[in-house]
Amino acid sequence: MAEPCKIVISYDIDGTVFAGDPPGKITLDMIQESKQLGYIIGSASDRTVTDQTQIWDRSGVDMDFIVLKHTLPETIAGLDPEFGFHIGDTNMDEYFAKQAGLTFIDIINGDFESFWTALVSQSLKP
Amino acid sequence: MITDIDNSWKRDSDGLGVWEHRGKVAIAGFGHSPVDRRWDEVNLESSLGAYALLACRKAIEDAGMSLNDIDGVVCCPTTISGDSGGSASNWAPRPYFDPPYDSEWGLTRVNAQWLIANLGLKNVKFAPSTAPTISEMVGLAAQAVGDGLCNNCLMIYPTGNMAGRYRRGGPNASDYAEGDSQWTAPWGNHGGNDFINIFPHQQYCRKYGGEHDDVAPFVLNQHRNGLMTPWGFNYQNNIPQLTHDDYVSSRYILRPLRLWDCDRPVNAAGAYLFTTGERAVDAKQPPVYVLNHSQHNFTFKTTQPTLDEIELWTDIAAQRMYEGSGLTAADVDIFNPYDGYSIMAQFFLEGFQWHGVKRGDAFAFYAGDIRVEGPHPLCSSGGNLGNGRTRTAMYTDSIEQLRGTAGPRQVTTRAETALAAFTTPSSGGWIMLGKNPD
Repeated sequence: MAEPCKIVISYDIDGTVFAGDPPGKITLDMIQESKQLGYIIGSASDRTVTDQTQIWDRSGVDMDFIVLKHTLPETIAGLDPEFGFHIGDTNMDEYFAKQAGLTFIDIINGDFESFWTALVSQSLKP
Repeated sequence: MITDIDNSWKRDSDGLGVWEHRGKVAIAGFGHSPVDRRWDEVNLESSLGAYALLACRKAIEDAGMSLNDIDGVVCCPTTISGDSGGSASNWAPRPYFDPPYDSEWGLTRVNAQWLIANLGLKNVKFAPSTAPTISEMVGLAAQAVGDGLCNNCLMIYPTGNMAGRYRRGGPNASDYAEGDSQWTAPWGNHGGNDFINIFPHQQYCRKYGGEHDDVAPFVLNQHRNGLMTPWGFNYQNNIPQLTHDDYVSSRYILRPLRLWDCDRPVNAAGAYLFTTGERAVDAKQPPVYVLNHSQHNFTFKTTQPTLDEIELWTDIAAQRMYEGSGLTAADVDIFNPYDGYSIMAQFFLEGFQWHGVKRGDAFAFYAGDIRVEGPHPLCSSGGNLGNGRTRTAMYTDSIEQLRGTAGPRQVTTRAETALAAFTTPSSGGWIMLGKNPD
């Protein structure tokens, strides 16, 4: 039996997810859905790991990784995914996503809706 | 009532002697708005203007005065998020709202005229049209009361922030650093004090020994104090205590400056009520007397100050403050220097020689007991790092410490004098406060 496709979905928090400050457009239900669909999900933010962990604990989201944004490259290297995405709202998100070999999804200026449609339909491509 | 003023009120030169109004001016009240990360751009009750009005009313109430008692207003009309702040500092070109939010005034900026109109102040006779940053405003308000230009002066410092990248608009958003900015701001806003202070900070480490992360105990303690400060951002937003691991693993903003060496922009307002010493005696709260104020604005020899220059400048600032207050370093109980970037504080600590700290001693001092419960309660306010970029923490904590109302932050050492500032090594000002007028 073939192993399931290893695709990483990395979420920035502030300005990206609803629990952030400012709140972003990604709801907790959407994050849960991405988990249920079998993606490797995690958060990568400048908030401390403690702060991030408290957010996900309060929300009942079981993250596969919770890391500082600038450590995305080593984190992703350790996961060895086939490909992945980092969703964020700033140029620092873009910078570290590219450093990690992830495709950056700009939630403010990019076509996030098309990306999410592909995620839900499990037709994401790198 | 709105008047232009010159700079003659400043105490910004050497050899001025003891301040002529020493102990004859006092702070009778203060007030803070909530501290939000940003205005949500929806609720006008949490706009910068609404928060400024709230802070003013709280300060007046704290002093036990009424709106009719106020005859002076000093308010900083500029935006802290910068003229090049882009969407973080300007509401336009979006449509405005109904009055009083029908212009940038009240939304992204607040000035004396707007406050007077919207507070309904009818007896104001002193209201300068421009006021610089808070460090100079406290001096201006104290001097105005001392000089008799007004008796009860409200001083308001609004610090606004909206969605968008703080100070990253305009030229700072460009991929190019053109003209002189290629030398001073090659990476957008990083031409600010972060860039300016890193070079002397690294010179400091080389000259005296130590490394950048020796600043960590100071930063962690600022966060600890902030979590004991009800009017600060960290306390109000349940920010977890920063740990040493958090600090040393945080990313560099401009190496070696780390994320947690920088303050957090917020949307808030703080207000203070300055009055005469005689009136303060009858106010609701114990008076906190102004023993001196001083300012400085030193000229850079080049685009980049050196350690030698910064040490000279902070020595001069200390000399001016001690001379004008008639006090010495040994007399200062509460020391609240500015910490908008953590690496500035060591220069102030050593320049003012608080608790005997000499040049090159700061890192060892940080490694000791600087908790508010301990013998060396440095920055009992938590500063900007522990409370957000309000620039008011240093002042309010000093007042509370002298009143004896700082709660869990109340120092266990003597608290009869306090020295507070918002300043960089090159420009800004200091104020000396006392529990007693003499």
